[in-house]
Amino acid sequence: QSPLVVKMQTSWNDANIWQDFARDYATRVEEMSGGRMKIDVLPAGAVVGAFQVLDAVNDGLIDAAHSVPVYWYGKNKAASLFGTGPVFGGSATTMLSWFYAGGGLELYDELTQEIMGLDIVGRLGFPMFAQPFGWFKNEVNTVADMQGLKYRTVGLAADLMAKMGMSVAQLPGGEIVPAMERGVIDAFEFNNPSSDKDFGAQDVAKNYYLSSYHQASESFEFLFSRTFLEDLDPDFQAILKYGVEAASTANTAKAMDRYSADLQWLQNDAGVTIHRTSKEILDAQLQAWDELIPELEADPFMKKTLDSQRAWVERVSYYELMNSPDYGLAYDHYFPGKVKL
Amino acid sequence: MIAFIRFADSLSAWFGKAFAWLIIVMAVGTGYEVFVRYVLNDPTAWALDVSFIMYGALFMMGGAYTLSRGGHVRGDFLYRLLQPRTQATIDFVLYIVFFFPGVTALIFAGWKYAARSWSYGEVSAASPAGVPIYQFKTIIVAAGLLLFVQGIAQLMRCIIAMRTNVWIEAPEDVFETEDLLMREANKAEKDHLS
Amino acid sequence: MTDPQVALMMLGLFIVFVFLGFPIAFTLMAMGIGFGYFAYYDPSRMWRSFERLDDAATTWDSWSTWFEGFLNNRIFDLFVNQTFTVMSNEVLTAVPLFLFMGYIVERSNIVDRLFTTLNIASKNLPGSMGVAALITCALFATATGIVGAVVTLMGLLALPAMLKARYDPSFAAGIICAGGTLGILIPPSIMLIVYAAATNVSIVRLYAAALLPGLTLVGLYLIYIVGRSILQPSSAPKPTDDEVPDMPRLQLLWLIITSFVPLAFLIFAVLGSILFGLATPTEAASIGALGGILLAFLYRAMTWQRLRESVYLTVRTTAMVCWLFVGSYTFSAVFSYLGGEQVIGEFVSSLDLTPIQFLIIAQLIIFLLGWPLEWSEIIIIFVPIFLPLLEVFGIDPLFFGILVALNLQTSFLTPPMAMSAYYLKGIAPPELRLTQIFKGVMPFLLCVIISMVLMYIFPQVVFYLPDLFYGR
Ligand code: NA
Ligand code: NA
Repeated sequence: QSPLVVKMQTSWNDANIWQDFARDYATRVEEMSGGRMKIDVLPAGAVVGAFQVLDAVNDGLIDAAHSVPVYWYGKNKAASLFGTGPVFGGSATTMLSWFYAGGGLELYDELTQEIMGLDIVGRLGFPMFAQPFGWFKNEVNTVADMQGLKYRTVGLAADLMAKMGMSVAQLPGGEIVPAMERGVIDAFEFNNPSSDKDFGAQDVAKNYYLSSYHQASESFEFLFSRTFLEDLDPDFQAILKYGVEAASTANTAKAMDRYSADLQWLQNDAGVTIHRTSKEILDAQLQAWDELIPELEADPFMKKTLDSQRAWVERVSYYELMNSPDYGLAYDHYFPGKVKL
Repeated sequence: MIAFIRFADSLSAWFGKAFAWLIIVMAVGTGYEVFVRYVLNDPTAWALDVSFIMYGALFMMGGAYTLSRGGHVRGDFLYRLLQPRTQATIDFVLYIVFFFPGVTALIFAGWKYAARSWSYGEVSAASPAGVPIYQFKTIIVAAGLLLFVQGIAQLMRCIIAMRTNVWIEAPEDVFETEDLLMREANKAEKDHLS
Repeated sequence: MTDPQVALMMLGLFIVFVFLGFPIAFTLMAMGIGFGYFAYYDPSRMWRSFERLDDAATTWDSWSTWFEGFLNNRIFDLFVNQTFTVMSNEVLTAVPLFLFMGYIVERSNIVDRLFTTLNIASKNLPGSMGVAALITCALFATATGIVGAVVTLMGLLALPAMLKARYDPSFAAGIICAGGTLGILIPPSIMLIVYAAATNVSIVRLYAAALLPGLTLVGLYLIYIVGRSILQPSSAPKPTDDEVPDMPRLQLLWLIITSFVPLAFLIFAVLGSILFGLATPTEAASIGALGGILLAFLYRAMTWQRLRESVYLTVRTTAMVCWLFVGSYTFSAVFSYLGGEQVIGEFVSSLDLTPIQFLIIAQLIIFLLGWPLEWSEIIIIFVPIFLPLLEVFGIDPLFFGILVALNLQTSFLTPPMAMSAYYLKGIAPPELRLTQIFKGVMPFLLCVIISMVLMYIFPQVVFYLPDLFYGR
């Protein structure tokens, strides 16, 4: 009996670390199914373009996809609330928990299946670490330093940064470095130390600002064709769905390992200065979100979703914050003077 | 049949040429973006979206015009040695087998694709400007319709050529410099001989 | 038959069908849809409602439901999706603008001024007319990028002048054919944009990478022209004062300022703003187009008629190139869905080639494809098939692209589809035979091969500028 082959296309190219994350999912599914199911992980562009995967899964051109919701935010701005929306105080893990235990999945299904009428089933996995504020040619310590800077980001973050006084360009990842060289942009954010390093961020800017509220709670999106999924035997359906949860842990471990090693490399070998974003700028980001939230809430579905997120964070993060010991204190105790928070 | 061929030729040419003028809009619009970026230090948010919308509309709507004027490249090193009658027979079959299934799909599947985009009120995600692209996706259907009509005219051309061994050419409006010069050279040579 | 075998059959059949001479864009589209219908054939999905029909259904109902099922194949959606991907391709947006600039420039009466000026300026060099013709070709080809126009215009202008000056006819013909083809290599070349769109290599890097190899090839051509003129003066006699008048320095300077400088400035502005990062290729192309219109106005060559012609030719050529992309995107999506890329990759890996062997075989295949096909088909259809293999052999797609661009010079010059030679034959005096043209082209073909070998030995020539401008 030959295995059932699931065609899964990602929004990444073969060299991207995230393609490895998708393969982590594939190996888990294969082993859990005892080899009866196999996932063919295809890179972006193999069947359709990186930004076309939602359409493609909906039409059944591919059975599954590995992407992020913000890539289809042109179809519905609410997509950005599933990962790249306002930050009320919860981390990506907090928000992934909202997705699974706080009503997020139901809202996601309502958006994709009812409002947009898509034939898909989606799951989120791998709570990404908060995305750095980004790469700057010169130091940026105050809001005044940011005024008029030409900055690259995507999605709602573009609106956010524009409100903070930057002039925002949305460029595909591959064009960032040449655009910096040419002075088309002065600064940019992408995602994490490993991916940033891989496309050569360190060659065009030396100031790397970590910590930011612009995309602090994103996760990957696993999309399945609903027709395809529901035709499968229940055990296969379960493996595909719960495989996302398994891959989430595997990805987190790999990301911790790789991202931190690459951050060290950037600092020690590439001459990059690692900064923490100043409190003044973080405050200004929150104020910019304040301006943006009412605009988003004009849409009833977005209002409902934001209310649900706020209620979740208010309760859950209270517990998280009250409960968590000061890890910085312990770190400083054992590795004195290494971080200044 | 000839009347229909003429009709299709002019329909395709009309749309192709009308959309061709987008090139001027594109040149000026993109030039404007460079100007405001460097002189006023205030780039537009929409230039990128607008330029790919113009480009896409231009080439899609020019497809039928190009077909009517024989402008789609062929691997014709054997084909052009054949009699028009034989060429027409091959073309006739291939229009039906190769051409129409795809063009019909552009119309029907394109309709589905565009309708979905209309239902979301889809905007381009390439910039924060929120430039709508559902109308742009509808171009797929329009281009498919034009190609369909032109394809029927091409079938009729084939039928006539199979009967008479002569192709009915579309009225030529513009020539590539090389074609023009070669035509003139041939004509001069003929005049010289006669 | 396994899916990958079907994919190989798809590729094989396509090559056979090309010979039928049907427009290639639609042949590709048909192969993609036909084999895609097979790849996405899913009876349970397609005939679900047909099978659920009850006995009460009329014959018409059952037929129409069956037919609906027949059409309910996902390949049609894939086709539309790929069409939209081509429509929203940001790299290709530069294509119509550069074409438009080319059409405007070729209608602006610039080429005769340029040739006359360079002819006078280079008068005392050995093979002066040949040198002038080649440089005119190179500049003009760079600005227009349209091979046919350069070859025919120069064929009407420079060829009679050279023949009158008793140049060896095949030598003269070779210069024009080879010079006219340079526009596809020297940036801002449309071929390189198409390569970038087909392979996802940065177009800006490609432009930077092509510059030195392009100049190297021009240099080799010039060495050959001057060298042959010295060794065999009878093939390139010095023109008499009748043929090329002497001219006072100031007057010559004025001629250069009015003919050579504006075009050179336009090219420099376009290319420079791309390389120095002031503008994207699309933006630079629009500036080039506007600059071309301005130039044509200044030469009093801009008429309503010419503008219209340029606009209409732009839409036709753009449609030709981009519909080819529509076909090939669909074709290659189905090809890789069926696993074709993987099986070719495995096959080539099993051959145990060294990178250099692979490189030679790949370039040989592209060279051979250049006999029956044109550059657009080769780049859009065949280069993507080589692409995954490059990674296996550790070859930079940027480097490969430059070799391809050099290589494709030959596709214009070698029969049976030697377009440069045909254009020249089309407008040349009847006494000039095609065999003479081919004979004249041979040494230039040799120069192309030498330049490819040079690039292989000294890859720095390719990488120096892109690394300098944009880092590694
Ligand atoms: Na980001
Ligand atoms: Na050839």
